[in-house]
Amino acid sequence: MARIEADDLRKVFRRPDKGPGLAGSLRHLVERRYTEKAAVDGISLRVEAGEAVAYVGPNGAGKSTTIKLLTGILVPTSGEVRVNGIVPHRHRVENARGIGVVFGQRTSLWWDLPVRDSFELLRDMHGLGAAEYRTNLDRLVETLGIADLLSSTARRLSLGQRMRADLAAALLHDPPIVYLDEPTIGLDIEVKDRLRTFLRQVVADGTTLILTTHDLGDIEDVCSRLVIIDQGRILHDGGLRQVIETYARERVMHVDLAARPASLAGIAARLTGATVTEERDGLGVAVAFDPLAHTAGDVLTALQAEVDVVDLRIEEPAIEDVVRRMYAGQLVAGPDERPAP
Amino acid sequence: MTTAVTATGAVPLGRLRREARTYRALGRAAFRSLVAYQTSFLFGLLATTLAAVAMLYLWRSVLAAGTVNGFDWPTMKAYLLVAFVAGSLVSSYVDYRMAGRIQQGDVAMDLVRPVDYQRSRFAEALGFGGYELGTGLVVAAAAAAVFGGVPAPARSSLGLFVVSAALVLPLRFGIVYVSALVVFWTRNYVGVQSARIALVTLFSGGLVPLAFFPGWLQGLAAALPFAGMASTPALLYVGGLAGAAAWRAVAVQAAWTVGLWWLGRAMWRGASRQLTVHGG
Repeated sequence: MARIEADDLRKVFRRPDKGPGLAGSLRHLVERRYTEKAAVDGISLRVEAGEAVAYVGPNGAGKSTTIKLLTGILVPTSGEVRVNGIVPHRHRVENARGIGVVFGQRTSLWWDLPVRDSFELLRDMHGLGAAEYRTNLDRLVETLGIADLLSSTARRLSLGQRMRADLAAALLHDPPIVYLDEPTIGLDIEVKDRLRTFLRQVVADGTTLILTTHDLGDIEDVCSRLVIIDQGRILHDGGLRQVIETYARERVMHVDLAARPASLAGIAARLTGATVTEERDGLGVAVAFDPLAHTAGDVLTALQAEVDVVDLRIEEPAIEDVVRRMYAGQLVAGPDERPAP
Repeated sequence: MTTAVTATGAVPLGRLRREARTYRALGRAAFRSLVAYQTSFLFGLLATTLAAVAMLYLWRSVLAAGTVNGFDWPTMKAYLLVAFVAGSLVSSYVDYRMAGRIQQGDVAMDLVRPVDYQRSRFAEALGFGGYELGTGLVVAAAAAAVFGGVPAPARSSLGLFVVSAALVLPLRFGIVYVSALVVFWTRNYVGVQSARIALVTLFSGGLVPLAFFPGWLQGLAAALPFAGMASTPALLYVGGLAGAAAWRAVAVQAAWTVGLWWLGRAMWRGASRQLTVHGG
């Protein structure tokens, strides 16, 4: 039996439809009008034990709503959902024992208590024995590097610190399923790397992971399966590699130059297949390349051989680009009719 | 209905013990987090203390001429101070927190914890209550000393007073909990809270004893849940309720306590079905 089974899930939100300004607000008092919007519109999903699924899509695609349906926070308008064999919104307490949840924008820590006290409260809630708690806590504290945070109150933590503490809180009871909703939002590269390494390890230990994110880096590092959702429907569900390679292969290196180069032809000659364009009125160059053909190091070497590089950044394709290219490429695995992009 | 509400006989002892430990821990955490807001708590306390002192002065001058509606000055002093301590329980922490979390959508995090929502909030109310009771008693004792002492509780109704006093916190919790849940529908708490405070202030008898109301209003007030929040225990303390009337008042208080608990359960079921959490 799959760990997570969702069949034709729908969640319709009713939003008050107020006209503009005070007049609109007043009219709404007497004549209530609502618009209905299906945030999740017929999603079916099966996730097996030990699978790591990236759940991605543009803003407002229905990612968070799906997670909230799977975690039992929201009650579906229609459709079936079973997690660990139980219906989450009907048995919330039982369901909560078998899952760990991190919402990037919220915390499960007690704001006014030291982090350690929050962990101890969770220990009591989950009924962990002293030995089990200590083993789990030690492991999490070490891998997440949060030993220094245990004695400060949650309100004093920075975003990156809080996120790591929240991850520890979600994993303390060794849940078979972990949902992470935008766990790397607003984190710096170093913390992101640390989290990704940690998540890979969690998945290797056999935990089922569902990860929503905007960051392709999270996905490539951690997940093997990719589900793309847009406008409440599943657009693609399958292997990750193929999609990334088809739609998110191109990287763009932007460099700032000390002086205007005479010509860019030399760079293009060194990097076959890459596109070289001028930027910043001649004081910059953008090289679009395929990482399978050239590494970023190759590109940089080629650039340095020809011009004086002052600064550089590499632009990776965003989820939004992947989704856009999927529309453009007509490789739509999901429902049939799509609105024109 | 959550699984936590199965018949006690069917629940293994180990699980009961574990749940008790959880809720105790939640209560302790609530108590400790009050320490983080000590300044705001002390200012709130200052405000209520001043109000209580003003009321004591007011009633002293009203009763200077003699007994009114069965209250002489020493009786009124005792009545007001008991009502003050009762009124300091379950002040605004429980509902501010709840309403805030519901409004902000943080209640989502409460829904993925393996504990019963209502019992957890009650455990926190008990934790806050320990603090509130302590400070309330200190202020009341100081006020009593300043105003020349208060009579001891009436011997005849001492037992009922103890029962009634013990019911104050769960009853107040019921009213506060139910009114905070209304935020699920209104999305705004300010109006709901003002309405509740107005009703409680008037009908609990904490400001003016219910005996000063016109007859029909007294009848209504005695049947409402608010009397049990201050008037009933305060009257029992001063011996203002006796015989069948005393039993009836405590029965009304107990019935409302139980009724509001179940009303809260039903409302939570409805509210958490139609919950919408926007963003993140």
